[in-house]
Amino acid sequence: MSSKTLKLPEAGQWPDKLVAPALIAGAVLTTIGFLMAFFYVAPVGGATVNGAELIGDVMVSQKMLLSQKIFYFHMPVAITSFLALGFGCYYAVRFLMTKNRRFDTCSRICLEIALLFVVLTMITGEMWTRFEWGVWWSWEPRLTTYLILMLIVIAYFVLRSSVDEPERRATFAAVVAIIATIDVPICFMITRLIPSSIHPVVLREGGMSPEMGLCVGLCALGMMLVGFALYRARFNQVRLTQRVDALKETLDDER
Amino acid sequence: MERESECRTAERGGTRSTLCKAPSTWTQYKTLLAKDLKAEFRTKDMVVSMGIYAFLVIVVFGVALSFARPGAEFLEVSGGLLWALVVFTSLLGLNRSFAKETENGCLEGLLLAPLDRGVIFLAKATSNLVFLVLVEVIAVPLYWVFFSSFAAPAETGWLLVAPLVLGSIGIAGIGTMLSTITAATRGKDVMLALLFVPVIFPLLYACVSATTCALVGGDVFADGFLTSLALGAGYDVVMILASWVLYDFVVN
Repeated sequence: MSSKTLKLPEAGQWPDKLVAPALIAGAVLTTIGFLMAFFYVAPVGGATVNGAELIGDVMVSQKMLLSQKIFYFHMPVAITSFLALGFGCYYAVRFLMTKNRRFDTCSRICLEIALLFVVLTMITGEMWTRFEWGVWWSWEPRLTTYLILMLIVIAYFVLRSSVDEPERRATFAAVVAIIATIDVPICFMITRLIPSSIHPVVLREGGMSPEMGLCVGLCALGMMLVGFALYRARFNQVRLTQRVDALKETLDDER
Repeated sequence: MERESECRTAERGGTRSTLCKAPSTWTQYKTLLAKDLKAEFRTKDMVVSMGIYAFLVIVVFGVALSFARPGAEFLEVSGGLLWALVVFTSLLGLNRSFAKETENGCLEGLLLAPLDRGVIFLAKATSNLVFLVLVEVIAVPLYWVFFSSFAAPAETGWLLVAPLVLGSIGIAGIGTMLSTITAATRGKDVMLALLFVPVIFPLLYACVSATTCALVGGDVFADGFLTSLALGAGYDVVMILASWVLYDFVVN
């Protein structure tokens, strides 16, 4: 009896206490970043167009100046999505090594969070593409690699739902999570490998002023905290559900 | 006969025991590959259906391009079209490569045998590569016959063999792993396409770029051909290594 209770999926460890503070801190930081983006950081030359210019068949003038502000959310969200995928891959490797179902749950929830942030990146990226480049979509290397990243993450969930056997589902999912993460460094490095890309390399080439860097940093930190809080809350919920299911099973066995 | 000769009786510490030398990895690989090739060349159903499918795709391209004007610009598109042909055809083949194993319970037999899983992967990937190359040997000249009226490729055009080989190796390697995964899922055909197309994308991009460089020739060729090939080869190496390592987990 006691050995059976030990086998139950455990839930509610100490990181759960950090969920509320992390969420609040993340919300505060992103709000500060949002306000800073509009009131503190000066408009950047990248968006300034002298008079009117033709970019991608659309006349772009100074009216579009504010569209650059989306950058302060686009980049942090993208970084967070990479980070979530990285953790998803880490847990997938841990699962394959130990076959512990806990890591499968971790990996799955990391990919759920990654999907959320990938979609957010796509939405903010679309706004950027539309107003800065004047087109809805451009087959530019980073956009393309990021699109396939999104497709693999979606395929991950379709794959999960089409395998019934839990053990096998977890293994397949872990393998696909690792493969998806191979695309992350490609997506990250592609603007450095193919210089014709219109995505600026801001980190290495110093395309940001100190204020911009501060604003992006605050937003990135806030987004990561929000991501962590979401991950932990969802993990707790899934884990409790699994625990309830396991309890039900043991009760059925005893009856 | 051969196997009997490999078995020998040895004396160890007074007790007699029969030692059976396990066949080498190379022998295992050869046997598995021969099994796949033999099964295919008895029925020829996969290569024939892939070949006919490739022809049908060419016909669809013909319809799609029926209002396109012949000219040198066509060369910039034709590399991409050729790769669309290769991807669709290989998807068809990969779908069936593992269905055969699961249908007859052959996979269980393979797994029960004391084999390294990596050997199974390599043998399966090689047989997929052989079928893909066979179909390409028929389909690429056909493609050329049907679309050479649009524009004549540059002198460097024959070099498209290099990206074709590179791409086929990558497609066979990654595809073998993914088709093993999807063979055990519901709706396997759709699932394979869903996983295969995004995962193969970077390789496809590099191969299309290299093929276009070869077909257009001149400055474009000098600029991009080797870089694209290097990118494609790098992705091939990374992905095939990853597939090989992960195959152990997938097939169990």
